[in-house]
Amino acid sequence: MPIAIVRHFALALLLTPPVLFADTVYVTNEKDNTVSVIDFDTLKVVNTFSVGQRPRGIALSPDNKILYVCVSDDDAIRAFDVENLEPLYDLPSGENPETFVLSPSGDRIYTSNESDNIVTVIDTSRRSVLNQIDVGVEPEGVAISPDGKIMINTSETTNMAHWIDTETFQIFENSLVGQRPRDAAFDLDGRRLWVTAEIGGTVSVFDTASYEQIIELKFKIKGIRQDRVQPVGLYLTRDGKLAFFALGPANHVAVVDAQTYEVLDYLLVGRRVWKLAPTADEKFLLTTNGVSGDVSIIDIENMKVIKSIKVGRFPWGVAVHE
Amino acid sequence: MNAWWRCLSGVILRENLRFFHQKGRFFGTLVRPLVWLLVFAAGFRAALGVSIIPPYETYITYEVYILPGLVGMVQLFNGMQNSLSIVYDTEMGSMRILLTSPLPRWWLLVSKLLAGVSVSFFQVYAFLGFAYLFGIEMPPMGYLSTIPALLLNGLMLGSLGLLLSSKIRQLENFAGVMNFVVFPLFFISSALYPLWKMRESSEFLYYLCAFNPFTHGVEMIRFALYSHFNATGVGWVLLATVVFLTLALRGYRPERGLSRKRGE
Amino acid sequence: MNQPVLSADTVSYQYGGDAALDEVSLELVSGTFTALLGPNGAGKTTLISLICHLIETRQGSIRICGHDVRTAPIPALQQIGIVFQQPTLDLDLSVHQNLHYFAALRGMPRNKATRQINIEIERLEIGDIVNKTVRQLNGGHRRRVEIARALLHEPALLLLDEPTVGLDIPTRQQFVAYAHSLARERDVCVLWASHLIDEVDPGNDNLLILHQGKLCANGPADKVMREHSCDRLTDVYIKLTGERGS
Repeated sequence: MPIAIVRHFALALLLTPPVLFADTVYVTNEKDNTVSVIDFDTLKVVNTFSVGQRPRGIALSPDNKILYVCVSDDDAIRAFDVENLEPLYDLPSGENPETFVLSPSGDRIYTSNESDNIVTVIDTSRRSVLNQIDVGVEPEGVAISPDGKIMINTSETTNMAHWIDTETFQIFENSLVGQRPRDAAFDLDGRRLWVTAEIGGTVSVFDTASYEQIIELKFKIKGIRQDRVQPVGLYLTRDGKLAFFALGPANHVAVVDAQTYEVLDYLLVGRRVWKLAPTADEKFLLTTNGVSGDVSIIDIENMKVIKSIKVGRFPWGVAVHE
Repeated sequence: MNAWWRCLSGVILRENLRFFHQKGRFFGTLVRPLVWLLVFAAGFRAALGVSIIPPYETYITYEVYILPGLVGMVQLFNGMQNSLSIVYDTEMGSMRILLTSPLPRWWLLVSKLLAGVSVSFFQVYAFLGFAYLFGIEMPPMGYLSTIPALLLNGLMLGSLGLLLSSKIRQLENFAGVMNFVVFPLFFISSALYPLWKMRESSEFLYYLCAFNPFTHGVEMIRFALYSHFNATGVGWVLLATVVFLTLALRGYRPERGLSRKRGE
Repeated sequence: MNQPVLSADTVSYQYGGDAALDEVSLELVSGTFTALLGPNGAGKTTLISLICHLIETRQGSIRICGHDVRTAPIPALQQIGIVFQQPTLDLDLSVHQNLHYFAALRGMPRNKATRQINIEIERLEIGDIVNKTVRQLNGGHRRRVEIARALLHEPALLLLDEPTVGLDIPTRQQFVAYAHSLARERDVCVLWASHLIDEVDPGNDNLLILHQGKLCANGPADKVMREHSCDRLTDVYIKLTGERGS
């Protein structure tokens, strides 16, 4: 028995568990004007490249060939070739785009222009503005339904989620949410809409058939002041079972049972956790931690934070390429 | 060689039998670290989410941080308890039974030391078990890879206890020693705060902590719990063990006699 | 004559500046019972501690069956069985556990230990108490367990340091008789330190009287009495130590 233990120990020293994922992670560094590239095989930053001023929102086209980055202070959404990370062209995003959402087919981009109180709709193939929709004061989060028919925009000052028909570009419903709504997302089956409210500290869940609120989630973390619990980014698992919420300066990610709405756990990550994105196999969830300048990796099955990786200054958005 | 081994296992068996007869002691060794963990540490939940230090890969709660320190504390108190029981045995006479065995005296004392360490294993794993139940989990492999670190740390603290027992041979003096040895060792170490945090408050305190062998014992355990090997810690602990043990064995040479008080 | 079991040659010992033992020389052979008498502080415990290597002999030498205690303590200690003045059993352990612990300390294999333990238990008629904890035993039984323990490894020399302290009179007498029988029947060399004169059998025992670190009587008890022209041992004791024995 003692020999077995010694051998066990020796093995533990020599071997690290094999890593089976091979995704590439892109993270925008708001203050460095760069994007960090993390190889998920080695969990190391393998490349950092300049993208333009104040990069924030980031996403990949559905075919994984184009990487779109909001370069807010350049007033554009810049397209990069995923192969060589060279800039391809700028999309006309309107002024100071912060975040955006792609339509399911990738033919459109919806982005909000905070100071103009509008949402700009861009045709990605023609690289032109399709429409500009007047919304509430200080528009922020954007979300698209799985069938692409409904676009959601949240406005920070109006404290509303606007339901917009993507055929007519008309707001057809408004829902009151918590103070300063930041982000929104639909379930994969399109039945529910989730909206986070930063100052309100709440998450509102709506039934997409009736537009009625189902529940309002609140969070409470032992040892952390309530006013620091500020839900921002969110992620809903594809099976509809779990919902994750980045709680900003609370430095935790809340894990919620998406069926019972019970908070299952709070996971400690870096400081001012902002946005969330899963790996392709949905085994891990990545968080950007603005103030501490790193990305934390959550093991979704075990609900454990396994590692944090340093990136640039103030990482904001994250996108994963299989 | 067989006789040596039989002697060692006999001493280990006796210490463990004695330990399990003292239910109060078992309870006490568990309550102390659990109070720290569940009462004290709970209030500091987010206090440490500032910097990632090895062996940690990500941000940790304070409870996770102080777990190795409390494991060290369990072994520290056990080492002192063992030394106290040696003093008690000396006063009561059963130390004479041990020391008149026909084996080298150093081996008899090392057997006594190892017996104390074996008792600390029960305490440490019971504590880790409770911590696990309260949600403070280590990687599963860590529970195994910590065994050598526990052995080494236990030997170091046991040697220190043996050294103290060779100097202080009257029970009534022991409380003072606990105050002057246990508390500085524990508080001026990395058990409760990481060294970098100590450095922020005082450079002098930082150097004291970095010199404290208990710090290195705790760091060695901290790394071992994540199946990492902490060479600095192991080196320091080995060195301290050799020094303490050498001095302790000198203190128990027969030419020094067994009792300070004149015999009869 | 056989090789002496215990021999001491001009052994002196000081605590600080005070002489505890002053040039003590003696020789004891197997099958004899020797009483070591002396008032408290005479040096009895010091002598016993030197013999069993708890303290180092610095002046003079002590040999057990020919092995010098200082240079070859291990073979010397193998020949010694000891009953100390203080009780040295673990109170919360059973008699069995106590005896097995001691056998392990002596490096005795488990089956041999079991065999020896059974022999001694039978001899001392303590079979009914072996599974009790020592705490449950009375003083007489505790002493019996200790003497059983001291004999487990069949030593040539049995040291007993004030073994009857705290025992009631019948138990004490029984115990004294048993120690005498060991010398007679098992050929053990018994050294019995005491300040109780009535534990000595004047007809058969050897007598050692220590006073202020000096050995002032050494020889068969009857011979010592004759030398000092006393009829009673008590008178010899008072004459040599200036104290009334009990």
